[in-house]
Amino acid sequence: MKPVLNKRFELTGNEMFRLIKISAFGKVVPIGNLRGGPGVRCLIVLSLLHYFGALGYYVKARYGHRLGFVKSFLRRVRG
Amino acid sequence: MDFQTYYCLKSLVKKGRSIAESKKVISFDLFDTLLIRRIHDPDLVKLPVARFISKLSKRYNCIIGWQKVQAMRDEIEGNHRAATGKKFEDHEACYPEFMGELLARIFGEETGAQLLDQVTEYELFMENSMLVPRRELVSWLKELAASGKRIFIISDMYLPASHLRKLVAHAGLLDFVEDVIGSADTFLAKASGKAYQMVAEKYRIDCKDWLHIGDNGFSDGLRAVEAGVDALIISDPKEAQRKSIVKRIYNYSDGKPFWRGRVLQQLMAPHEGENIDQSPLYIEGYNFIGPMIGLFVQRIAEICLEKNITKIFFLSREGWTFKRYWEQAMPALYPEGGLPEIEYLYVSRMALAGASCAFSGLTQTKADIAFLPSGNRDFRDVCRIFSLDSNKFHSCLESFGLSEETCLSHIHDGYDPENRKKFEAMLEDPGFQAEVKAQTGDANCAMLRYFEDVGLFRHKDVAIVDIGWLGSIQRFLFEAIAHREDKPKCHGYLFGATRGIPYDTSEKNSIEGVIYDRDRFDLAGSTLFYARDIFEEACRAPYPTLNGYKLTEDGYELIFRQTDDEIGQSELAQDRYFAPLQQGIYDSAKRFGAAAAMLNYSLTDYRPWINSLLVSKLAFPKAKEIFRIRNQHHLDDFHGQKQPKADFSKGFVPLWDRPQWQLRFSPLLRVRCFFRHLRERINE
Repeated sequence: MKPVLNKRFELTGNEMFRLIKISAFGKVVPIGNLRGGPGVRCLIVLSLLHYFGALGYYVKARYGHRLGFVKSFLRRVRG
Repeated sequence: MDFQTYYCLKSLVKKGRSIAESKKVISFDLFDTLLIRRIHDPDLVKLPVARFISKLSKRYNCIIGWQKVQAMRDEIEGNHRAATGKKFEDHEACYPEFMGELLARIFGEETGAQLLDQVTEYELFMENSMLVPRRELVSWLKELAASGKRIFIISDMYLPASHLRKLVAHAGLLDFVEDVIGSADTFLAKASGKAYQMVAEKYRIDCKDWLHIGDNGFSDGLRAVEAGVDALIISDPKEAQRKSIVKRIYNYSDGKPFWRGRVLQQLMAPHEGENIDQSPLYIEGYNFIGPMIGLFVQRIAEICLEKNITKIFFLSREGWTFKRYWEQAMPALYPEGGLPEIEYLYVSRMALAGASCAFSGLTQTKADIAFLPSGNRDFRDVCRIFSLDSNKFHSCLESFGLSEETCLSHIHDGYDPENRKKFEAMLEDPGFQAEVKAQTGDANCAMLRYFEDVGLFRHKDVAIVDIGWLGSIQRFLFEAIAHREDKPKCHGYLFGATRGIPYDTSEKNSIEGVIYDRDRFDLAGSTLFYARDIFEEACRAPYPTLNGYKLTEDGYELIFRQTDDEIGQSELAQDRYFAPLQQGIYDSAKRFGAAAAMLNYSLTDYRPWINSLLVSKLAFPKAKEIFRIRNQHHLDDFHGQKQPKADFSKGFVPLWDRPQWQLRFSPLLRVRCFFRHLRERINE
């Protein structure tokens, strides 16, 4: 017995890892028209959010007001 | 006195319980506190409303695009906020006022006023479909109400309290609260702190006895404390994570079509109290088959509007689920109405096969269809399928050198091609055809009476919707009514058209597959070949198949198959096994409608996601998924009981029919099966 949406907010039975596997397979073997597919960057960002997002947002909620320097650093890195 | 912020609902409720003991009044913020939204951005709920107004404008001949409607709404709302800001501290707007002005501008004063209720109803319907009560807070609220505390809900929102009450009632909370207070009524909001003073005066509350719960550190925290009210603030990182995920998938879906289906599923996912532990079959129904059916019926609705089809007949027994899904999903997708009528039509291949012979006789194509299933071998099988009495064909068979037992199928022992030629020659014999027509006349007459009753002949264009696969039901149906002058134009739509025998398409009779059609090369869609039966079983109505139409003195009678034999009992057992799967499908329908209305994409947009889902679930399933979903019993009266030649079944074993040990341990089994599937599709 499991919920339809798991604790990481993934669809049970179609988690990110499975999506990544099928997308990777689709890069090698034709599996049908995916119109460009999911994109590597999107998969990485979403995987990070699903698997580590809770921790990240906890830190942000708890200590966000002290992390202004990280934001300004990231802004500078992004140009 | 200061407000405290909590990062987890449990700790907030625990602290709240201890503080509430000394308080008489507890107030809650509504949005993002008591109710959360499935969507990350509340403004997105306005878009389907703009589309609704745009569609209404076509009806009233004052056509305006939905983007223009949305821009006008934003502008008018902004003006209202600015005007309020001149008189009050809070820049608030009131929905009935700015929406009334918007509608008056588009439709004129009189019509605009008439349409306001309709538009408001849809806006609240969409809001409700996107709102989910937070389980822990709601149960605490009920606990507080039961202990005699005065409960208020206070919201800074453009909806007046009368509208907010409808949202609160939908969430099942209205009976527990003393009142719902919205800033749109008085323009005194929590953001300025004026709302707290107003509520304290109006309801004679001593602020020392008051505890407020909210999510905004400024308006729910600081302003409350300034007014002398104790406050607890929730800043839930899990909620931030959830919204961030939805936001990113939503944004990706704009540029990358692949994510459109994923965002649809993410928006229709259950949350909080809805998201309880379910059986694995329920999850397959909700996360896999449900959305597929939703996209299928959504596409049918689009086609019907394009082609001016005025009635849809959902064919039994899979049409039961399609119709139910349609009824649940369409109110959100088409609030303006204008959709065709819908009807569930009791038919089956067995019931229509005989009735279709009354005017056209038993044709060569029909005979070919009869010999497609491997269990059909001889003329007795033909008679069983077409409801013919084989005893009355003895002389005819003898005159062509055949008997009832002569093998006519090449996959059975004793097959001689000469006998098949003789059989085909017999099909040309007028005497044979006269007997066929005589025997099937009554069934056809009864069937026509039933079709007249359900209004099949009262429409010029009708859609015939079925699961698939060859389209033989529609083929038989059209042949059975082809002689009538008032026959409608039958547009057939199948979930998957695997075809096999060429379909006699004509101006009045056509068929196409929506999710998959063999006539269009679609590699991912063709994975339906892996496990067609599961879609049939998942959508099947909870009653036995139709055996035929019986002519009675005053009309007709539908004859259903008995369930007291072994096959009937097996079917009941299968229905019981798949009950959670079907429940998952049904439960997904309403949320599918709301999510699809929010996104406004069509089947073409969702296709990349469907393709990925089909390949993943059907061609590369986990072993446990196959054990779970594959049907245990599949009734097919069309299929006879004869055993084909031993070498017939010795060939390739499909993935979904493989034994457990192979599925678990055979190396690269799925890849090998997929390559074979690829080869077959390319060579067909």
